[in-house]
Amino acid sequence: MNTKRLRTIIPLAVIGVIAVGFATHVGVGTLSAIGWQDISLLCPLGALMTMIATKTMIPRAVISVVIAIALILLFARAFCGWICPVPVVSKIRGVFSKKTSNTDMTGTGVLPADENPLVKAAKGSEAADAPAPLSADEQAALSGCGHSCSSCAEKRATFDSRHVILGGSLLSAAVFGFPVFCLICPIGLTFATIVLVMRLFAFGDVAWGVILVPTLLLAEVVFFRKWCSKFCPISALMSLVGKANRTFVPAIDNAKCRESAQGTSCEACAAVCPQGINVRHPEAGMSFSECTKCRACVEACPTRAITMPFLPKKAAPSTVIVEDDETVPAA
Amino acid sequence: MAELEEKVPDAAQPKKEQRPVITRRALCVGLGGTAALLGLGAVRYAGSAPLVRPPGGQDEDALVSACIRCEKCYEVCPRGVIAPAHLEDGILNMRTPVMDFSANWCDWCTEENGGTPLCVASCPTEALKTGSTPETGALGLAELNQDLCLAYRLIGCRFCYDACEYEAMALDENNRPYVLNDQCNGCGACESVCVSLQNGSISAGATERAIVVRPLEA
Repeated sequence: MNTKRLRTIIPLAVIGVIAVGFATHVGVGTLSAIGWQDISLLCPLGALMTMIATKTMIPRAVISVVIAIALILLFARAFCGWICPVPVVSKIRGVFSKKTSNTDMTGTGVLPADENPLVKAAKGSEAADAPAPLSADEQAALSGCGHSCSSCAEKRATFDSRHVILGGSLLSAAVFGFPVFCLICPIGLTFATIVLVMRLFAFGDVAWGVILVPTLLLAEVVFFRKWCSKFCPISALMSLVGKANRTFVPAIDNAKCRESAQGTSCEACAAVCPQGINVRHPEAGMSFSECTKCRACVEACPTRAITMPFLPKKAAPSTVIVEDDETVPAA
Repeated sequence: MAELEEKVPDAAQPKKEQRPVITRRALCVGLGGTAALLGLGAVRYAGSAPLVRPPGGQDEDALVSACIRCEKCYEVCPRGVIAPAHLEDGILNMRTPVMDFSANWCDWCTEENGGTPLCVASCPTEALKTGSTPETGALGLAELNQDLCLAYRLIGCRFCYDACEYEAMALDENNRPYVLNDQCNGCGACESVCVSLQNGSISAGATERAIVVRPLEA
């Protein structure tokens, strides 16, 4: 089973477990406060907002934030790629548009691997004989953009719109004294939809919310195609903390990589990354703090040169390149 | 190794040129989102009627401030009397917990958890405060509408009187029940058994039961 399917099945399984838990009153909570009975791991943003809004230290919220930070340090934005239901809900966009565009909304958006010309070319030419060496121009292009363009500027910026909205979420909680973002959080709305629909059928609890909540959720994922990479403050929080993530970072085995071993252009890893990370040339793409550990690059690599080791191998020069870009701001 | 050497002059360049703090476009989008959140926050002042809340949630302002709409309290309630508030209760209150006594009532989990309400125990943000008991933490106050009550048509109904476990109801000289306000803790037992809205006993124009728990602040 490939990870792409797995990354759809796992969020659906999480939704299923939470729905069954709700129906049987066992107390697993929703992703806003997942856990068992009295023990809950709060959404880190929710925990911060509720503490700011009430201006009190809430023990369970503090503990949740600490645990969430530890998990983000370990897995960066893996939550976005593996557990969050929003990218799965966003697949509903396929109903509205016939285009087979990438429905993985966690990142900046790319074509799926099997439709990506760059990947096709890389995979296709694998069987071909002597690969052509890179021209000087290509070498220059691969080693990073010499001139400035807006998309590069956006990729290279330390902060983006999400981070401003994260600040806005905390500010609005402080100004109005309640967690404002929770009202429109698509993760919360996903579970609210399930709960409201279950209540509708189980108790005949007819409410406008049964229509309003899913409508709001659909509007968010349909109209804000880049919700996760441009708007989501939870994603922003994870990318900020994720700057210090050093585990499970994609690493290239230079002895296998087509570029370093054979001197040919490939870029398959950069082409498939939903986050716009360029594993081979990190300076040309998004920061590794955006990595959702989706393994698309690992699977797309025609020579299987990319791995996600628990810790970076100190000896390999490739890891030096990997770390180079982000160690300074993280320190 | 060629790459490594190339990186050195790159790193030596001033940081600002290499990585802008934020692009103008991103800043505008972000400020737009922030403005939307600040606009949404204004629903706090749109005015909302107090509601009958689960144990420990009687301070409306504190509950609305702390509740992150995680839906855990309605899940853990063993009697299913906690429900998400409707849109009709205000955008601010939507999905916050309210009591729904249509089928059952609240005994502060005396039967199920020895008197520690499971909703309070599981609330991760302390929106439902600890220490609420049937004696000290009234959820609301039962209100009997004599126009709708079957007993006031001398039918002899006394379901609510029989259901009350906190001696908060009495019968008058005609065996008609009435509420003892200083004894009532709003547990909802009376409301949950009231038959005034059921088939065959509907009073003209009735939209709710004859005995209903009202919020204390109302």
